[in-house]
Amino acid sequence: MSGVSRVGAEQAPILTFDKISKRYGSLQALSEVSFQINRGEVVCLIGPSGSGKSTLLRCANALEMLDGGRVTFEGTDVHAPGGDARRVRQRMGMVFQNFELFPHLTVLRNITIGPTTVLRLDPAAAEARARQLLLKVGLADKAAQHPAALSGGQQQRVAIARALAMEPALMLFDEPTSALDPETIGEVLSVMKALADEGMTMVVVTHEMDFAKRVADWIVVFDQGRLIEEGPPKQIFEAATVARTREFLSHLGWHGESIAEVSGADKGGLRQ
Amino acid sequence: MTFHWHVVWDNLDRFAAGAVVTVELTVLTMALSIPGGLLLAFLRLSPFAAVRAAATAFVELFRSTPLILQIYWVYYVLPTFSEIQFPAFETAVIGLVCNISSYNSETFRAGIVSIRAGQWNAGLALGMSRAQVMARIVLPQAAMRVLPALATTWVSLFKDTSLVSVINVEDLSYQSLKIRTETFTILEVLTAMAAIYWLMGYPQAKLVDWIHRRYKAAE
Repeated sequence: MSGVSRVGAEQAPILTFDKISKRYGSLQALSEVSFQINRGEVVCLIGPSGSGKSTLLRCANALEMLDGGRVTFEGTDVHAPGGDARRVRQRMGMVFQNFELFPHLTVLRNITIGPTTVLRLDPAAAEARARQLLLKVGLADKAAQHPAALSGGQQQRVAIARALAMEPALMLFDEPTSALDPETIGEVLSVMKALADEGMTMVVVTHEMDFAKRVADWIVVFDQGRLIEEGPPKQIFEAATVARTREFLSHLGWHGESIAEVSGADKGGLRQ
Repeated sequence: MTFHWHVVWDNLDRFAAGAVVTVELTVLTMALSIPGGLLLAFLRLSPFAAVRAAATAFVELFRSTPLILQIYWVYYVLPTFSEIQFPAFETAVIGLVCNISSYNSETFRAGIVSIRAGQWNAGLALGMSRAQVMARIVLPQAAMRVLPALATTWVSLFKDTSLVSVINVEDLSYQSLKIRTETFTILEVLTAMAAIYWLMGYPQAKLVDWIHRRYKAAE
Protein backbone atom coordinates (compact mmCIF):
# COMPACT_ATOMS: atom_id res chain seq x y z
CA MET A 1 0.00 0.00 0.00
CA SER A 2 2.35 2.67 -1.25
CA GLY A 3 4.25 2.72 2.05
CA VAL A 4 2.10 5.44 3.62
CA SER A 5 0.87 4.83 7.13
CA ARG A 6 -2.84 4.15 7.15
CA VAL A 7 -5.18 4.39 10.12
CA GLY A 8 -6.71 1.00 10.84
CA ALA A 9 -4.25 -0.71 8.55
CA GLU A 10 -3.04 -2.91 11.37
CA GLN A 11 -6.48 -4.56 11.36
CA ALA A 12 -7.66 -7.19 8.92
CA PRO A 13 -9.36 -5.73 5.86
CA ILE A 14 -13.17 -5.97 5.91
CA LEU A 15 -13.64 -5.55 2.16
CA THR A 16 -11.10 -6.41 -0.51
CA PHE A 17 -11.25 -5.85 -4.25
CA ASP A 18 -8.85 -8.13 -6.07
CA LYS A 19 -8.30 -7.36 -9.76
CA ILE A 20 -12.00 -6.88 -10.45
CA SER A 21 -13.13 -6.23 -14.03
CA LYS A 22 -16.54 -5.36 -15.39
CA ARG A 23 -17.66 -4.84 -18.99
CA TYR A 24 -20.90 -3.47 -20.40
CA GLY A 25 -20.84 -4.59 -24.02
CA SER A 26 -17.77 -2.93 -25.50
CA LEU A 27 -17.37 -0.52 -22.56
CA GLN A 28 -14.74 -1.59 -20.05
CA ALA A 29 -16.30 -0.14 -16.87
CA LEU A 30 -13.65 -1.54 -14.52
CA SER A 31 -10.18 -2.89 -15.35
CA GLU A 32 -8.41 -5.03 -12.79
CA VAL A 33 -9.09 -2.78 -9.81
CA SER A 34 -7.49 -3.82 -6.51
CA PHE A 35 -7.65 -2.10 -3.12
CA GLN A 36 -8.94 -2.75 0.35
CA ILE A 37 -11.04 -1.20 3.08
CA ASN A 38 -10.13 -1.79 6.71
CA ARG A 39 -12.56 -1.92 9.60
CA GLY A 40 -13.44 1.57 10.89
CA GLU A 41 -12.07 3.39 7.85
CA VAL A 42 -13.77 5.98 5.69
CA VAL A 43 -12.63 5.48 2.11
CA CYS A 44 -13.69 8.03 -0.51
CA LEU A 45 -13.73 7.10 -4.18
CA ILE A 46 -13.21 10.11 -6.43
CA GLY A 47 -12.73 10.67 -10.13
CA PRO A 48 -14.57 11.91 -13.22
CA SER A 49 -18.14 10.78 -13.97
CA GLY A 50 -18.20 7.43 -15.73
CA SER A 51 -14.87 6.36 -14.29
CA GLY A 52 -16.34 3.22 -12.70
CA LYS A 53 -16.77 4.30 -9.05
CA SER A 54 -20.50 3.56 -8.81
CA THR A 55 -20.11 0.31 -10.73
CA LEU A 56 -17.51 -0.74 -8.20
CA LEU A 57 -19.96 -0.14 -5.33
CA ARG A 58 -22.62 -2.23 -7.03
CA CYS A 59 -20.07 -5.02 -7.50
CA ALA A 60 -19.28 -4.85 -3.77
CA ASN A 61 -22.75 -6.07 -2.76
CA ALA A 62 -23.35 -8.21 -5.86
CA LEU A 63 -25.98 -5.97 -7.44
CA GLU A 64 -23.64 -6.38 -10.43
CA MET A 65 -21.82 -9.55 -11.43
CA LEU A 66 -18.09 -9.48 -12.17
CA ASP A 67 -16.36 -10.35 -15.42
CA GLY A 68 -13.13 -11.05 -13.57
CA GLY A 69 -11.47 -10.85 -10.19
CA ARG A 70 -12.82 -11.30 -6.71
CA VAL A 71 -14.55 -9.28 -3.98
CA THR A 72 -14.08 -10.54 -0.44
CA PHE A 73 -16.22 -9.23 2.43
CA GLU A 74 -15.59 -10.42 5.97
CA GLY A 75 -13.70 -13.36 4.53
CA THR A 76 -16.45 -14.48 2.11
CA ASP A 77 -16.26 -14.39 -1.69
CA VAL A 78 -19.20 -12.11 -2.49
CA HIS A 79 -19.75 -13.53 -5.98
CA ALA A 80 -19.10 -17.21 -5.24
CA PRO A 81 -21.41 -19.41 -7.34
CA GLY A 82 -24.14 -20.66 -5.03
CA GLY A 83 -22.90 -18.14 -2.49
CA ASP A 84 -25.23 -16.15 -0.33
CA ALA A 85 -25.35 -12.60 -1.71
CA ARG A 86 -28.34 -11.87 0.53
CA ARG A 87 -26.29 -12.47 3.67
CA VAL A 88 -23.57 -10.15 2.38
CA ARG A 89 -26.11 -7.43 1.60
CA GLN A 90 -27.62 -7.66 5.09
CA ARG A 91 -24.21 -6.74 6.50
CA MET A 92 -23.56 -3.96 3.95
CA GLY A 93 -25.82 -0.92 3.94
CA MET A 94 -26.25 1.05 0.72
CA VAL A 95 -27.30 4.65 0.12
CA PHE A 96 -28.22 5.66 -3.43
CA GLN A 97 -27.83 8.88 -5.38
CA ASN A 98 -31.61 9.08 -5.95
CA PHE A 99 -32.49 7.98 -2.38
CA GLU A 100 -34.76 5.18 -3.66
CA LEU A 101 -37.06 5.35 -0.66
CA PHE A 102 -40.18 3.24 -1.09
CA PRO A 103 -42.82 5.84 -2.01
CA HIS A 104 -45.82 3.72 -0.99
CA LEU A 105 -44.58 3.33 2.59
CA THR A 106 -44.35 5.81 5.45
CA VAL A 107 -40.93 6.99 6.59
CA LEU A 108 -41.18 4.66 9.61
CA ARG A 109 -42.13 1.64 7.47
CA ASN A 110 -39.30 2.43 5.04
CA ILE A 111 -36.93 1.94 7.95
CA THR A 112 -38.61 -1.11 9.53
CA ILE A 113 -39.24 -3.11 6.36
CA GLY A 114 -35.65 -4.42 6.17
CA PRO A 115 -35.42 -5.58 9.80
CA THR A 116 -38.92 -7.12 9.83
CA THR A 117 -38.77 -8.94 6.48
CA VAL A 118 -35.10 -9.86 6.31
CA LEU A 119 -33.96 -10.14 9.93
CA ARG A 120 -37.43 -11.29 11.12
CA LEU A 121 -37.22 -8.71 13.88
CA ASP A 122 -40.33 -8.27 15.99
CA PRO A 123 -42.32 -5.24 14.65
CA ALA A 124 -42.27 -3.42 17.99
CA ALA A 125 -38.50 -3.83 18.30
CA ALA A 126 -38.02 -2.72 14.69
CA GLU A 127 -40.14 0.36 15.29
CA ALA A 128 -38.21 1.26 18.43
CA ARG A 129 -34.97 0.96 16.48
CA ALA A 130 -36.39 3.04 13.62
CA ARG A 131 -37.54 5.84 15.95
CA GLN A 132 -34.10 5.95 17.53
CA LEU A 133 -32.49 6.24 14.10
CA LEU A 134 -34.92 8.98 13.05
CA LEU A 135 -33.98 10.90 16.17
CA LYS A 136 -30.34 10.44 15.24
CA VAL A 137 -30.80 11.86 11.72
CA GLY A 138 -33.00 14.66 13.07
CA LEU A 139 -36.30 13.54 11.55
CA ALA A 140 -38.21 12.11 14.52
CA ASP A 141 -41.25 14.23 13.60
CA LYS A 142 -41.46 12.78 10.06
CA ALA A 143 -42.12 9.13 11.00
CA ALA A 144 -45.73 9.12 9.75
CA GLN A 145 -45.05 11.06 6.53
CA HIS A 146 -44.61 9.57 3.09
CA PRO A 147 -41.32 10.23 1.29
CA ALA A 148 -42.96 12.56 -1.26
CA ALA A 149 -43.67 15.04 1.55
CA LEU A 150 -39.95 15.35 2.39
CA SER A 151 -37.17 17.45 0.87
CA GLY A 152 -34.32 15.70 -0.93
CA GLY A 153 -31.98 16.13 2.02
CA GLN A 154 -34.58 14.73 4.39
CA GLN A 155 -35.24 11.78 2.08
CA GLN A 156 -31.56 10.97 1.94
CA ARG A 157 -31.30 11.09 5.73
CA VAL A 158 -34.21 8.63 5.92
CA ALA A 159 -32.38 6.44 3.39
CA ILE A 160 -29.32 6.47 5.66
CA ALA A 161 -31.51 5.49 8.62
CA ARG A 162 -33.08 2.72 6.53
CA ALA A 163 -29.64 1.26 5.79
CA LEU A 164 -28.48 1.64 9.40
CA ALA A 165 -31.57 -0.21 10.68
CA MET A 166 -30.00 -3.43 9.39
CA GLU A 167 -27.03 -2.75 11.74
CA PRO A 168 -24.53 -3.20 8.91
CA ALA A 169 -20.80 -3.70 9.35
CA LEU A 170 -20.10 -1.35 6.45
CA MET A 171 -21.94 1.39 4.58
CA LEU A 172 -21.74 2.07 0.85
CA PHE A 173 -22.63 5.59 -0.29
CA ASP A 174 -23.18 6.10 -4.03
CA GLU A 175 -22.91 9.85 -4.67
CA PRO A 176 -25.29 10.55 -1.77
CA THR A 177 -25.44 14.32 -2.35
CA SER A 178 -25.28 14.54 -6.15
CA ALA A 179 -29.06 14.77 -6.58
CA LEU A 180 -29.55 17.31 -3.80
CA ASP A 181 -30.18 21.03 -3.84
CA PRO A 182 -27.07 22.86 -2.62
CA GLU A 183 -28.80 24.02 0.55
CA THR A 184 -29.58 20.46 1.70
CA ILE A 185 -26.19 18.90 0.94
CA GLY A 186 -24.77 20.04 4.28
CA GLU A 187 -27.37 18.26 6.40
CA VAL A 188 -26.63 14.93 4.70
CA LEU A 189 -22.86 15.39 4.91
CA SER A 190 -23.02 16.18 8.61
CA VAL A 191 -25.01 13.00 9.28
CA MET A 192 -22.32 11.09 7.38
CA LYS A 193 -19.57 12.87 9.28
CA ALA A 194 -21.18 11.93 12.60
CA LEU A 195 -21.48 8.33 11.43
CA ALA A 196 -17.77 8.32 10.56
CA ASP A 197 -16.97 9.77 14.00
CA GLU A 198 -18.85 6.84 15.58
CA GLY A 199 -16.42 4.52 13.83
CA MET A 200 -18.65 3.23 11.01
CA THR A 201 -16.74 1.72 8.11
CA MET A 202 -17.75 3.70 5.02
CA VAL A 203 -17.08 3.59 1.29
CA VAL A 204 -18.19 6.86 -0.25
CA VAL A 205 -18.35 7.72 -3.94
CA THR A 206 -18.41 11.50 -3.93
CA HIS A 207 -17.69 14.72 -5.75
CA GLU A 208 -17.66 16.62 -2.42
CA MET A 209 -13.93 17.20 -2.16
CA ASP A 210 -14.21 19.16 1.10
CA PHE A 211 -15.92 16.18 2.70
CA ALA A 212 -13.38 13.74 1.26
CA LYS A 213 -10.48 15.80 2.54
CA ARG A 214 -11.95 16.34 6.00
CA VAL A 215 -13.50 12.94 6.74
CA ALA A 216 -11.75 10.29 4.64
CA ASP A 217 -8.93 8.17 5.99
CA TRP A 218 -8.07 7.04 2.52
CA ILE A 219 -8.78 8.30 -0.97
CA VAL A 220 -8.94 6.16 -4.08
CA VAL A 221 -8.82 7.93 -7.45
CA PHE A 222 -10.48 6.40 -10.53
CA ASP A 223 -10.16 7.28 -14.17
CA GLN A 224 -11.62 5.35 -17.12
CA GLY A 225 -12.29 2.22 -15.09
CA ARG A 226 -8.82 2.11 -13.58
CA LEU A 227 -7.52 2.85 -10.11
CA ILE A 228 -4.90 5.50 -10.89
CA GLU A 229 -3.84 6.54 -7.42
CA GLU A 230 -4.62 5.96 -3.75
CA GLY A 231 -3.41 7.46 -0.53
CA PRO A 232 -4.31 9.56 2.52
CA PRO A 233 -6.20 12.82 1.79
CA LYS A 234 -3.21 15.03 2.46
CA GLN A 235 -1.14 13.28 -0.16
CA ILE A 236 -3.89 13.15 -2.79
CA PHE A 237 -5.00 16.76 -2.38
CA GLU A 238 -1.64 18.40 -1.76
CA ALA A 239 0.92 16.17 -3.42
CA ALA A 240 -0.72 13.89 -5.93
CA THR A 241 1.91 11.91 -7.78
CA VAL A 242 -0.22 11.08 -10.81
CA ALA A 243 -0.68 13.88 -13.34
CA ARG A 244 -4.25 12.78 -14.15
CA THR A 245 -5.22 13.14 -10.46
CA ARG A 246 -3.87 16.72 -10.34
CA GLU A 247 -5.67 17.48 -13.60
CA PHE A 248 -8.98 16.12 -12.24
CA LEU A 249 -8.67 18.09 -9.01
CA SER A 250 -7.78 21.31 -10.79
CA HIS A 251 -10.84 20.89 -13.03
CA LEU A 252 -12.89 20.93 -9.84
CA GLY A 253 -11.17 24.16 -8.87
CA TRP A 254 -8.95 22.46 -6.32
CA HIS A 255 -5.48 23.90 -6.20
CA GLY A 256 -4.13 22.32 -3.08
CA GLU A 257 -5.77 24.69 -0.61
CA SER A 258 -5.79 23.73 3.03
CA ILE A 259 -8.78 21.97 4.54
CA ALA A 260 -12.01 23.88 4.09
CA GLU A 261 -15.17 23.69 6.11
CA VAL A 262 -17.73 21.14 4.99
CA SER A 263 -20.26 23.35 3.27
CA GLY A 264 -23.28 24.06 5.41
CA ALA A 265 -22.34 21.51 8.04
CA ASP A 266 -23.81 23.70 10.74
CA LYS A 267 -27.27 23.72 9.26
CA GLY A 268 -28.05 20.81 11.55
CA GLY A 269 -28.51 17.35 10.18
CA LEU A 270 -27.59 15.54 13.31
CA ARG A 271 -29.19 15.81 16.70
CA GLN A 272 -28.40 13.39 19.41
CA MET B 1 -98.75 3.91 -32.36
CA THR B 2 -99.64 2.16 -29.17
CA PHE B 3 -97.04 1.39 -26.55
CA HIS B 4 -97.16 -1.68 -24.37
CA TRP B 5 -95.01 -0.61 -21.44
CA HIS B 6 -96.91 -3.04 -19.22
CA VAL B 7 -94.81 -5.77 -20.82
CA VAL B 8 -91.80 -4.28 -19.07
CA TRP B 9 -93.52 -4.06 -15.68
CA ASP B 10 -95.00 -7.55 -16.05
CA ASN B 11 -91.55 -9.03 -16.67
CA LEU B 12 -89.59 -6.98 -14.16
CA ASP B 13 -88.65 -10.11 -12.20
CA ARG B 14 -87.04 -11.64 -15.32
CA PHE B 15 -85.15 -8.43 -16.10
CA ALA B 16 -83.96 -8.43 -12.49
CA ALA B 17 -82.91 -12.08 -12.65
CA GLY B 18 -80.98 -11.34 -15.85
CA ALA B 19 -79.30 -8.31 -14.30
CA VAL B 20 -78.18 -10.46 -11.35
CA VAL B 21 -76.56 -12.96 -13.75
CA THR B 22 -74.83 -10.11 -15.59
CA VAL B 23 -73.40 -8.79 -12.33
CA GLU B 24 -72.38 -12.30 -11.24
CA LEU B 25 -70.57 -12.88 -14.53
CA THR B 26 -68.75 -9.56 -14.28
CA VAL B 27 -67.68 -9.99 -10.66
CA LEU B 28 -66.69 -13.64 -11.01
CA THR B 29 -64.76 -13.01 -14.24
CA MET B 30 -62.78 -10.10 -12.79
CA ALA B 31 -62.14 -11.96 -9.53
CA LEU B 32 -60.54 -14.78 -11.54
CA SER B 33 -58.88 -12.57 -14.17
CA ILE B 34 -56.81 -10.58 -11.66
CA PRO B 35 -54.85 -13.63 -10.44
CA GLY B 36 -55.01 -15.02 -13.99
CA GLY B 37 -53.58 -11.83 -15.46
CA LEU B 38 -50.91 -11.65 -12.77
CA LEU B 39 -49.88 -15.24 -13.48
CA LEU B 40 -49.64 -14.54 -17.23
CA ALA B 41 -47.66 -11.35 -16.53
CA PHE B 42 -45.15 -13.27 -14.39
CA LEU B 43 -44.85 -15.93 -17.11
CA ARG B 44 -44.21 -13.23 -19.70
CA LEU B 45 -41.43 -11.82 -17.48
CA SER B 46 -39.91 -15.28 -16.94
CA PRO B 47 -36.18 -15.77 -17.55
CA PHE B 48 -37.06 -18.86 -19.67
CA ALA B 49 -37.71 -18.09 -23.33
CA ALA B 50 -40.05 -21.07 -23.83
CA VAL B 51 -42.27 -19.97 -20.93
CA ARG B 52 -42.33 -16.40 -22.23
CA ALA B 53 -43.24 -17.59 -25.74
CA ALA B 54 -46.09 -19.82 -24.52
CA ALA B 55 -47.59 -17.04 -22.39
CA THR B 56 -47.22 -14.52 -25.21
CA ALA B 57 -48.95 -16.88 -27.65
CA PHE B 58 -51.88 -17.32 -25.24
CA VAL B 59 -52.24 -13.58 -24.65
CA GLU B 60 -52.00 -12.63 -28.31
CA LEU B 61 -54.49 -15.34 -29.34
CA PHE B 62 -57.14 -14.10 -26.92
CA ARG B 63 -56.49 -10.42 -27.54
CA SER B 64 -56.63 -10.74 -31.31
CA THR B 65 -59.79 -12.83 -31.83
CA PRO B 66 -63.39 -11.77 -31.08
CA LEU B 67 -64.74 -12.69 -27.68
CA ILE B 68 -67.91 -14.05 -29.22
CA LEU B 69 -65.85 -16.52 -31.27
CA GLN B 70 -63.96 -17.61 -28.14
CA ILE B 71 -67.24 -18.32 -26.35
CA TYR B 72 -68.66 -20.20 -29.33
CA TRP B 73 -65.48 -22.16 -29.68
CA VAL B 74 -65.38 -23.38 -26.07
CA TYR B 75 -69.11 -24.23 -26.17
CA TYR B 76 -69.47 -25.85 -29.60
CA VAL B 77 -66.03 -26.80 -30.96
CA LEU B 78 -64.24 -28.09 -27.88
CA PRO B 79 -66.80 -30.91 -27.29
CA THR B 80 -66.51 -32.14 -30.90
CA PHE B 81 -62.97 -33.42 -30.47
CA SER B 82 -62.77 -33.93 -26.72
CA GLU B 83 -64.88 -35.19 -23.88
CA ILE B 84 -64.98 -31.70 -22.46
CA GLN B 85 -68.42 -30.11 -22.36
CA PHE B 86 -69.03 -27.38 -19.84
CA PRO B 87 -72.49 -26.07 -18.92
CA ALA B 88 -73.31 -22.70 -20.48
CA PHE B 89 -72.54 -20.51 -17.46
CA GLU B 90 -69.16 -22.19 -16.84
CA THR B 91 -68.34 -21.91 -20.53
CA ALA B 92 -69.12 -18.21 -20.45
CA VAL B 93 -66.88 -17.70 -17.42
CA ILE B 94 -64.02 -19.68 -18.99
CA GLY B 95 -64.20 -17.66 -22.22
CA LEU B 96 -64.43 -14.34 -20.41
CA VAL B 97 -61.63 -15.20 -17.95
CA CYS B 98 -59.22 -16.23 -20.75
CA ASN B 99 -60.00 -13.02 -22.61
CA ILE B 100 -59.89 -10.60 -19.67
CA SER B 101 -56.83 -12.31 -18.12
CA SER B 102 -54.99 -11.64 -21.38
CA TYR B 103 -55.83 -7.94 -21.23
CA ASN B 104 -55.02 -7.77 -17.52
CA SER B 105 -51.66 -9.47 -18.06
CA GLU B 106 -50.61 -6.67 -20.41
CA THR B 107 -51.76 -4.08 -17.90
CA PHE B 108 -49.90 -5.78 -15.03
CA ARG B 109 -46.76 -6.33 -17.09
CA ALA B 110 -46.64 -2.65 -18.04
CA GLY B 111 -47.18 -1.73 -14.38
CA ILE B 112 -44.41 -4.00 -13.14
CA VAL B 113 -41.80 -2.87 -15.68
CA SER B 114 -42.70 0.78 -15.02
CA ILE B 115 -41.19 0.50 -11.52
CA ARG B 116 -37.60 1.70 -11.96
CA ALA B 117 -34.60 -0.53 -11.38
CA GLY B 118 -33.47 1.60 -8.43
CA GLN B 119 -36.41 0.33 -6.40
CA TRP B 120 -35.30 -3.24 -7.05
CA ASN B 121 -31.74 -2.36 -6.07
CA ALA B 122 -32.90 -0.66 -2.86
CA GLY B 123 -34.88 -3.74 -1.84
CA LEU B 124 -32.14 -6.20 -2.80
CA ALA B 125 -29.49 -4.09 -1.05
CA LEU B 126 -31.41 -4.56 2.22
CA GLY B 127 -30.99 -8.31 1.76
CA MET B 128 -34.50 -9.04 0.50
CA SER B 129 -35.12 -11.92 -1.91
CA ARG B 130 -36.43 -11.13 -5.39
CA ALA B 131 -39.83 -12.53 -4.36
CA GLN B 132 -39.92 -10.22 -1.33
CA VAL B 133 -39.01 -7.18 -3.44
CA MET B 134 -41.72 -8.11 -5.95
CA ALA B 135 -44.38 -8.64 -3.28
CA ARG B 136 -43.59 -5.75 -0.94
CA ILE B 137 -41.97 -3.08 -3.10
CA VAL B 138 -42.85 -3.52 -6.79
CA LEU B 139 -46.40 -4.92 -6.84
CA PRO B 140 -47.89 -2.44 -4.34
CA GLN B 141 -46.53 0.45 -6.42
CA ALA B 142 -47.56 -1.18 -9.70
CA ALA B 143 -51.08 -1.76 -8.33
CA MET B 144 -51.63 1.98 -7.92
CA ARG B 145 -50.48 2.61 -11.48
CA VAL B 146 -52.61 -0.10 -13.10
CA LEU B 147 -55.81 0.71 -11.22
CA PRO B 148 -57.13 3.15 -13.88
CA ALA B 149 -56.50 0.67 -16.73
CA LEU B 150 -58.05 -2.13 -14.69
CA ALA B 151 -61.15 -0.03 -14.03
CA THR B 152 -61.53 0.67 -17.76
CA THR B 153 -61.32 -3.07 -18.49
CA TRP B 154 -63.98 -3.65 -15.81
CA VAL B 155 -66.51 -1.41 -17.54
CA SER B 156 -65.93 -2.99 -20.98
CA LEU B 157 -66.25 -6.40 -19.36
CA PHE B 158 -69.58 -5.43 -17.81
CA LYS B 159 -70.93 -4.60 -21.27
CA ASP B 160 -69.20 -7.50 -23.05
CA THR B 161 -70.88 -10.07 -20.79
CA SER B 162 -73.92 -9.51 -23.05
CA LEU B 163 -72.18 -11.70 -25.65
CA VAL B 164 -72.73 -14.80 -23.51
CA SER B 165 -76.42 -14.73 -24.42
CA VAL B 166 -75.42 -16.46 -27.68
CA ILE B 167 -74.88 -19.69 -25.73
CA ASN B 168 -78.09 -19.25 -23.73
CA VAL B 169 -76.62 -18.00 -20.48
CA GLU B 170 -79.60 -16.26 -18.92
CA ASP B 171 -78.08 -12.83 -18.40
CA LEU B 172 -79.81 -9.49 -18.91
CA SER B 173 -79.40 -9.61 -22.70
CA TYR B 174 -80.70 -13.15 -22.98
CA GLN B 175 -83.74 -12.41 -20.80
CA SER B 176 -84.51 -9.20 -22.69
CA LEU B 177 -84.26 -10.80 -26.11
CA LYS B 178 -86.41 -13.70 -24.96
CA ILE B 179 -89.14 -11.39 -23.61
CA ARG B 180 -89.03 -9.50 -26.91
CA THR B 181 -89.57 -12.70 -28.91
CA GLU B 182 -92.38 -13.86 -26.66
CA THR B 183 -94.29 -10.57 -26.65
CA PHE B 184 -93.38 -9.00 -30.02
CA THR B 185 -92.68 -5.69 -28.23
CA ILE B 186 -89.36 -4.63 -29.66
CA LEU B 187 -89.22 -0.94 -28.76
CA GLU B 188 -90.40 -1.27 -25.18
CA VAL B 189 -88.27 -4.26 -24.25
CA LEU B 190 -85.08 -3.07 -25.90
CA THR B 191 -85.54 0.38 -24.40
CA ALA B 192 -85.97 -1.17 -20.98
CA MET B 193 -82.87 -3.28 -21.59
CA ALA B 194 -80.88 -0.18 -22.53
CA ALA B 195 -82.16 1.68 -19.47
CA ILE B 196 -81.17 -1.12 -17.11
CA TYR B 197 -77.67 -1.45 -18.64
CA TRP B 198 -77.27 2.32 -18.49
CA LEU B 199 -78.44 2.59 -14.87
CA MET B 200 -75.92 -0.04 -13.86
CA GLY B 201 -73.10 1.03 -16.19
CA TYR B 202 -73.21 4.80 -15.77
CA PRO B 203 -72.21 4.84 -12.07
CA GLN B 204 -69.37 2.45 -12.89
CA ALA B 205 -68.15 4.69 -15.71
CA LYS B 206 -68.27 7.70 -13.38
CA LEU B 207 -66.33 5.74 -10.76
CA VAL B 208 -63.69 4.90 -13.37
CA ASP B 209 -63.40 8.59 -14.30
CA TRP B 210 -62.87 9.38 -10.64
CA ILE B 211 -60.21 6.64 -10.29
CA HIS B 212 -58.42 8.03 -13.36
CA ARG B 213 -58.36 11.53 -11.88
CA ARG B 214 -57.45 10.35 -8.40
CA TYR B 215 -54.55 8.09 -9.36
CA LYS B 216 -53.27 10.08 -12.29
CA ALA B 217 -52.73 12.97 -9.92
CA ALA B 218 -50.84 10.70 -7.54
CA GLU B 219 -48.15 9.85 -10.10
